[in-house]
Amino acid sequence: MSTLADRISGLFFLLFGLAMYLWINPNFIETVDSRNIAPSTLPNIVSIVIAASGAFLTLKPTQHQVRNPILMAKTGLYVGLLTAGIYAMSWFGFEYVAPVLALAIMWLIGERRPLWLGLGVVAMPAIIWFLVTQVLGRALP
Amino acid sequence: MKLKSKLVALAASAVIAMSAPAMAQDWKPDGPLTIQIGFGAGGSTDTMGRVLANVMKENTGWNIVVENKPGGGGVAMFTGLSQRPVDDKTIGMGVSIPVLVQLVQRGDQLPFDIDSFDYLGTVAKAELALVASKDAPFDDLEGLIAYAKEQGTLPVATMAPPQVLMMKQTMSTTGAEFNLVTADGGAEVMKLILGGQVLAGFGSGEHYPYLESGDMKVIAGANQARLSYAPEVKTFVESGINAYVDPVFFLAMKQGTNPAALEAISAAIDAATKAPEFAEIVQNAVKGDPINMGAEGTRQMMVDGLANAKILFAK
Amino acid sequence: MVDLSTILAGFGDAFSLFNLAFVLFGVVLGQFVGAVPGIGPIMAMAIAIPFTFGLDPLPAIAFLVGVNKGGLVGGAVPAVLMNTPGTPDAAATAMDGYPMAKQGKPLKATKMALFSSVTGDTFSDIVLITVSAPLAILALKMGPIEVVALIVFAFSILAGLIGNSLTKGIIAAALGLLAASVGQDPENFTPRLIFGYWDLFDGLALPSVAIGMLAISEILHRLSEAHGNMRPAIVAKDTGNPDDRRVTWAEYWSCRYTMLRGATIGTILGALPGIGSTAAAFMSYAMTKASSKDPGSFGKGNIQGIAASESANSAVVGANLIPLLTLGIPGSVGAALIISAFMIHGMQPGPLLFENQGRLVYGLFGAMIMANFINLWVGQLGLRLWVKVVSAPESIIFSSALLLCFVGVSMATSGLFGVAIMLIFAVIGYLMASFGYSLVIFIIAFFLGPRFEKSIAQSLALTNGDLTQVLKSPVAVALLVLSVVSVVWFLRKNAQEDAE
Repeated sequence: MSTLADRISGLFFLLFGLAMYLWINPNFIETVDSRNIAPSTLPNIVSIVIAASGAFLTLKPTQHQVRNPILMAKTGLYVGLLTAGIYAMSWFGFEYVAPVLALAIMWLIGERRPLWLGLGVVAMPAIIWFLVTQVLGRALP
Repeated sequence: MKLKSKLVALAASAVIAMSAPAMAQDWKPDGPLTIQIGFGAGGSTDTMGRVLANVMKENTGWNIVVENKPGGGGVAMFTGLSQRPVDDKTIGMGVSIPVLVQLVQRGDQLPFDIDSFDYLGTVAKAELALVASKDAPFDDLEGLIAYAKEQGTLPVATMAPPQVLMMKQTMSTTGAEFNLVTADGGAEVMKLILGGQVLAGFGSGEHYPYLESGDMKVIAGANQARLSYAPEVKTFVESGINAYVDPVFFLAMKQGTNPAALEAISAAIDAATKAPEFAEIVQNAVKGDPINMGAEGTRQMMVDGLANAKILFAK
Repeated sequence: MVDLSTILAGFGDAFSLFNLAFVLFGVVLGQFVGAVPGIGPIMAMAIAIPFTFGLDPLPAIAFLVGVNKGGLVGGAVPAVLMNTPGTPDAAATAMDGYPMAKQGKPLKATKMALFSSVTGDTFSDIVLITVSAPLAILALKMGPIEVVALIVFAFSILAGLIGNSLTKGIIAAALGLLAASVGQDPENFTPRLIFGYWDLFDGLALPSVAIGMLAISEILHRLSEAHGNMRPAIVAKDTGNPDDRRVTWAEYWSCRYTMLRGATIGTILGALPGIGSTAAAFMSYAMTKASSKDPGSFGKGNIQGIAASESANSAVVGANLIPLLTLGIPGSVGAALIISAFMIHGMQPGPLLFENQGRLVYGLFGAMIMANFINLWVGQLGLRLWVKVVSAPESIIFSSALLLCFVGVSMATSGLFGVAIMLIFAVIGYLMASFGYSLVIFIIAFFLGPRFEKSIAQSLALTNGDLTQVLKSPVAVALLVLSVVSVVWFLRKNAQEDAE
């Protein structure tokens, strides 16, 4: 039971290394009539190292305990939220998405006090907007 | 609510944009203009780009941001430029030769060609030289070749594919052998020469202080004409190797940019290249005067350069 | 050689109220942006350069040096207080700084970071001012073969940080090298592993990877732990002991060998272009841990760990100016930006700079010394402010930090593409940390990878692929032997620790 985490990650890296070496590297790296070191040399070597180490870890795992799965699932939720935020920014721009994103994150954390919500949702994005566009003259994402 | 008002604003601005074609003289960028420089900070392109941006900013009042996008002698930056949507405010600044050579060598793999851009103008020509330490046992290209033959092989530092091709041309013409060491830019070439790891290398301006101090000497000019600062030194062509490069610093935007924007920005660049403060920095960076071929002239330079590069550098 | 009157005139130029004001402004700006997550000193310098156009050369460059030095001090702040290093070279500082902050000694930890940073910085400045010319000549003798050996040696020192599983350490390092190989290959400039995304042609952007892995992944973890009853982002429980709010002279003095070692490592690596401050910080940290009588206390709030990391990464910045001023060769992106500023002001760094512009160079040295004192003074005030700021509720700290990272990375990489890469690496970093893979080993391998591959290619070109040529370089041979010794030694030490 306690060696499960290492067996899973070891197996993953075994497959990942093999996939890189057998499929991704040959297809996404050009071959050239190289002079000293081919473009694929280093990626191939490290792919093999990853696969071999993964196999070794699967066979000889340590007692590593993975983080609490419930916490990891919660992290997944935040990742989804941030992904949606980036996607929305590409459509509507930072100044419209940032307050919504900040509100969502703060609400998920459990913040309900109006003062802090106001600071995080209105004041912070406004300060960032002012500094970036007005003081530095740069574009926001 | 927010979303809705944003959409309304979008629609409104679209209507305005369509109903009133902007004129060049009253065209203004909506937001900061960005000049993306195809080389890292600290080099001659970077220096000229930053000063150009500053002079343009002073003249026009536009906000201009300078970014470094190094990689592949500018190919990374132009690739990125060709892949982004037309926004009327992103300008690329690079050097012609590395781009043209990549187009000749691997044009089918690059996502752009010379028609992918609208050209704005040029700022200067670069002079490329093969230099060596003052103690090197040769003084010109013939001497270098003879020494390489005598030694069996000789290490030479390059910083971009065109220089590799020039040295390969030298090898096939003369039968001499060179070990070509790829360096990360001109500063590293100088380091390799000074450290004695290579005997010669290419410099596009990084070698000036060492010429002045007497630590280095010029072996050959790599342009079509002789070097302005070392007119006694022969070029590759004069030494019997049919290869030269004439790099030009130029600016371009993505093809399909609003003609009013092109005209306004092109005019701003032209005005900036005439400013004395810009001439001074060009003099420092390339030991020459600013040269602006204009929008049409720049396109012609690229078209002619491509035809020329095909002859010189075809595989 | 520069005569004494030029030196004195240069220092005289520097110590004017006008320059003092610019150095002060630069340091304040640098410390501030260094401490804000997502924006580092490099970004700050890139933004600041246009503002220096109108200035005379001395205040302009003094200002930029101030930004750079201030940024180093500021960078340690989020690393110590929140475990979210804003710049990768502060990641080693977080390893002991954050545990200390959690023990209720945030001010002590940040102050130690400040003192050791200024100490390391001053050390390398003194080396720069006194012996830069001979050092630069030594650095020139480090050719590609020696650089390969040096990077191998750096990797071998990192074996001391691998922890309980060698296999996992190797995987983390290999993944870092793999990530580093995205983009153009070092010799033929072909696109590699970019999957049609031409934005990757120049490689995965450093800010995206470093901030994603080190800062965002930690914030993600902390978000998942947060819940309804609002806590401050750091629990600054007052221990009541005034010694926990300051660094006593005895504590500072007990770190003298650690700081001296860190400053020496940083100065050497800074004088050799291309290795960088992150590797210096971790090498110093690993060596300090290895030579300690109580290695088990590292990572749990040992003040020596902070001293080791900060003295080394700060020393790099001063030493970076050695090849810059004497040879015109930048040792880092920050140094390249300073060269840019030199050239814009009409000066070419290189062999004649001291002769032609001696007065200005010594003016710059004067400004650097001034900046160190100002750093110390501003830091004392600023740290209190930052400790107050992060005692705000975690809800607002984390949401604001995320927004700032979005904006900072988007500015540094010009667009949302870089932000998306940042989030991808945050997820990778989170998963790696969850399954017990070292993030710092990944990051260092990622940093050193391109230089490593390029130097190997150069070495092969120089030797015609004949590896016996390596034996002709005593420096390379010595470094390689040392690497083997250090790996064996670290592995035995790790095994002993496990046995205990």
